[in-house]
Formats: sequence, structure tokens, C-alpha cells
Amino acid sequence: MSDDEIKNLEIKLRSIVETIDVANALTAPLTLSIENLLRISAAEINSEEASVIVRDGDAGDLRFLSAIGKVAEHLKTLKIPSGKGIAGFVFSSGQPMALADVGAEDTFYAEVDKQTGYSTQTILATPLRHDGEIIGVLEYINRIGEPPFEPFTSAEMDKVALFAEAIASLVNAYESAKLFRDLGDKMLSADEKLKLEEMRKWIKDLRETNEHKEMIDLALIVRELAGRGDAERQMCKGILESVLQYSDTKTETSFLSF
Amino acid sequence: MTTVSAYESNEHSSISTYFQMDDSWKLRTGKGVSVAVIDSGIDVSHADLQGKVKESVEARADNKRVVFDKSDTGDSAGHGTACAGIISRIAPDAEFYSIKVLGAGGLGDGIAFLAGLEYAVKNRYQIINLSLGTTKPQFFAPLHDLLDRAYQAGCVVVAAANNLPQPSYPSVFSSSLISVSKHEDADPFNFGFRYGEVIELTAPGVYIRTAWLNNSYKSLTGNSFACPHIVGIIALLLEKYPVLTPFQVKSALYAIAQEKQERNMANESNEEDKLSE
Repeated sequence: MSDDEIKNLEIKLRSIVETIDVANALTAPLTLSIENLLRISAAEINSEEASVIVRDGDAGDLRFLSAIGKVAEHLKTLKIPSGKGIAGFVFSSGQPMALADVGAEDTFYAEVDKQTGYSTQTILATPLRHDGEIIGVLEYINRIGEPPFEPFTSAEMDKVALFAEAIASLVNAYESAKLFRDLGDKMLSADEKLKLEEMRKWIKDLRETNEHKEMIDLALIVRELAGRGDAERQMCKGILESVLQYSDTKTETSFLSF
Repeated sequence: MTTVSAYESNEHSSISTYFQMDDSWKLRTGKGVSVAVIDSGIDVSHADLQGKVKESVEARADNKRVVFDKSDTGDSAGHGTACAGIISRIAPDAEFYSIKVLGAGGLGDGIAFLAGLEYAVKNRYQIINLSLGTTKPQFFAPLHDLLDRAYQAGCVVVAAANNLPQPSYPSVFSSSLISVSKHEDADPFNFGFRYGEVIELTAPGVYIRTAWLNNSYKSLTGNSFACPHIVGIIALLLEKYPVLTPFQVKSALYAIAQEKQERNMANESNEEDKLSE
């Protein structure tokens, strides 16, 4: 590899890592918020097993983005094939639904129960929508305490629809941020010339530099400001553009080059 | 027979006399009435539905178009079977036509559903059960157009309301279809009509025990399950009065619900009178 190629590769890698880290910094608080909302909403309807299920690929399969409860960790490793189970139906139809007696007919949960020893008896599932698009399913299982569990009520179905709206906005923000991360991952794995070990070390060194940490901090400040309202967003944009204009007149521009 | 002035003076009860209906329609079975269920398919082998499903078709993407092939894949989710089971309990002799648009691989939300509705209108099924909907704004205009065509073709479209804060289509188009949300009462004949509301009809939809996959039964809650109750009621009405137009069907539902409400109110006031005596 020539010096120029190495230099180019380094620039490319640096931008990929920055993209990934910004995306991570943005997604981490979102996953935490989704989980918190899951917990609060579950408590509201006297349940403690809840999950957010989202699209996985283009074939209509689903995966667990977030889950709380006894089998949460197990669920997060699983996928639901297209159209299967209550979640599959709610995702494709957009209609909320509650079942009093799940039993063996829901093949997905029958399989999960077999693997975990858990017993899924009653389900409440409602679609997550953003801009008219169904982006996932919010699902609650069983009640707090011992079986037999009281079925979820019609009023509880209406109540979780309100939580679904809030959770859907977070899921949408998460999915957007994740696109950057996936893009970065793809770019990294596509380049066969790179030696993985060397690259990891390089990434580690890069992450430890002050410049990189400052860049992440800046991204977080911008995100925080942008979330405070239109006036703050406009002001922030105005200030940053002024700084850029000012720095364009200087030779040293690296501090805002990302 | 009522007069227009009586109607204008807000005496809604008198509208029921336009139909001069007695309760004999309640004894009908929906015989010969065609009912399309646009859903996840129907399990034709279920004990409650054997011999009742006249045709099953399934949506398939064909070069950016949606076509319908004869289907023997049954029900992919259980939901279509549940809806057909509810209709069949009220109208056991109705003829079912299953139009499978959910679980059909590769077809986007809304597209297959719209094509399924068009297929049902083209075939002029008398009643169309739509226990699904979409909130995508791009479907607003084509759905509106399709529902007008259904109305003109004499097909009665019954749609489940969405219980989410956003409007869902077509359930919010109140002029050309009948939209239904759930209530707690379990008696199918005890449906409600909330004149002036976006979702006008209410019907049983809370833990309804109905047919499910593998010849089983499930207790289900949702507006999805209120909608087929009204479809069953309309099947009885259409057997008794086959020439009713969609407009007249809606008016008949209004008249029945109104009359029942007045009877209940009269009974209540009679009881109060007795108590005060």
C-alpha cells in the first residue's frame, strides 16, 4: 500500500469509527428510555413481562429490540418468522389484540415456553406506528403474581395504546441512529485489505484521543440542544454556522471537520 | 309512518317506522348471503366453518401488481378464522369468501389489503368484513375511491376501528361504510349506534370466545372482533330484506339500535315510576 493509500484509508476509517461512536452515543440513551417506558407501562397494567418487537430485514421477520421480565434475555436472542404468532399478526394487520388463553396454538410462544420453562398464558399486543407506518409491536405477557392470570381488560388495551405512541417515537429514533451504525459496520467488514487485529488496536487508540472524546461530547450537546425546541435548534444552527464561516477563513479547521 | 317534520323536530325514534320492521329478521340464518373476509385466511377445516367457505383466494405480488390465486394455505395467524367464526355463530348459513391478504409474503402493509378490497368489490360480495386498516396517508385517496365504488356496487363494507390516537383508514370514512368499535356487552343483538361519532357502531369485542387454528377456540379482545358481530347482524337483515342498499342497511341498524335504546329508557322510567309510587 502506498503512503497515499494508507493516508486515505486512515481518513476513511476515522470517519467510520466516528460515525459508529456517534450512533452508539445516540442509541444508548434511547434503548434505556424504551426499557424504562416498558417498565412503567407494564406496572400500569399490573404486568412485568413486556417487549418491543421490530422488523428484522425485508422478509417481514421480527426481532426483539427490547424486553423486560423473566425471559427477557432469552427473547432478545430470538426471531419471529413473518406473519407468525400474535406479534406477527398485529404487525401485519395494525390491529391491537388481547388473548385470554394463549396455549399451544401460538407456536412461537409454545416454543419459547418449552425452552425456558416459562408459561405464557395471556397476551396483550398493540402496534407501534410512526408516520402511519407500522414499525413494531408492543407486547405484554401475563400478570404480576401467580397463575391463573386475569386477562388484560379492554381499558388496559386503550391505556397501552397511549404508551405505544411514545415508545414508537423512541423506536423510530433508535432505528434511524442504528442505520449509521450498521452502515459503519458494513463499511468495515467490506474492506478485506484490513487486518482485524491491527484495526482494533487502531480504533482503540483513536477512541482514547482527546479529540475523539471531544467530538462525541459535542455531538451529545448538539443532540441535547436540538431536543429543547425550535428556538434552541435555530440558535444552535446559527452559532455553529458562524463558527464554520469563521474557521473557513483560517488554515486550522480540524476541530470542526467532522 | 313518520313525517319529515317529526324527523326535523329531532324525534329520532320515529325514523324506525320507515322500515316497519318487526323482530323476525333475528330468526334468519344469513342463508345465501355472501360475506367476504379480508384477513389472514380462513381455516376451512374448523368444525364451526366446515362447508361454509365457498372460495379461498390469496394475494400474490406479480410484477408490481397484486393478483389473487386460489388458496389452500388456510389461515396463517388465526385472526381470519376467529372473525369468520363470530359471523358464523350469528349467521350460520352465510356463504364465506376468504380473501387472504395478511401473511402473504413480500407484500407491503396496505397494498395487498387495498387489492383485496378491490377484488371483493369486483366480485360484488354483499358484505365485506374488514377487521384491519391502515394509517398511511397515501392510502387515503385510493381507499376513498374504492369505498365509493363498493357503495355504488351495493356492497356493504364493515370496518374495525383503530383504538390508537391516529385516524385509521378506512374506519374514519363514515359516509360510505360502517365502522365498529368494541363494547363490553356480549349480546350481538345489543349493538349500539352513536350517531354523529366518527366510529358509529359498537358491538361485542371483549373476550369473545371464537374459532382459532387447529380446531381450537380462543377468548379474544379487540375492535377486530366487534366488526364481525355487525357483519353477522347485517347478514340476517340481508336475508330478510335482500334489496336493502348500503345506505338502507346503515339506517336499519340505526333504527334498531334507537328503538332498543328507547325501549330500555322506557323500561327504566317505568321502574323509577314504580319505585316512587
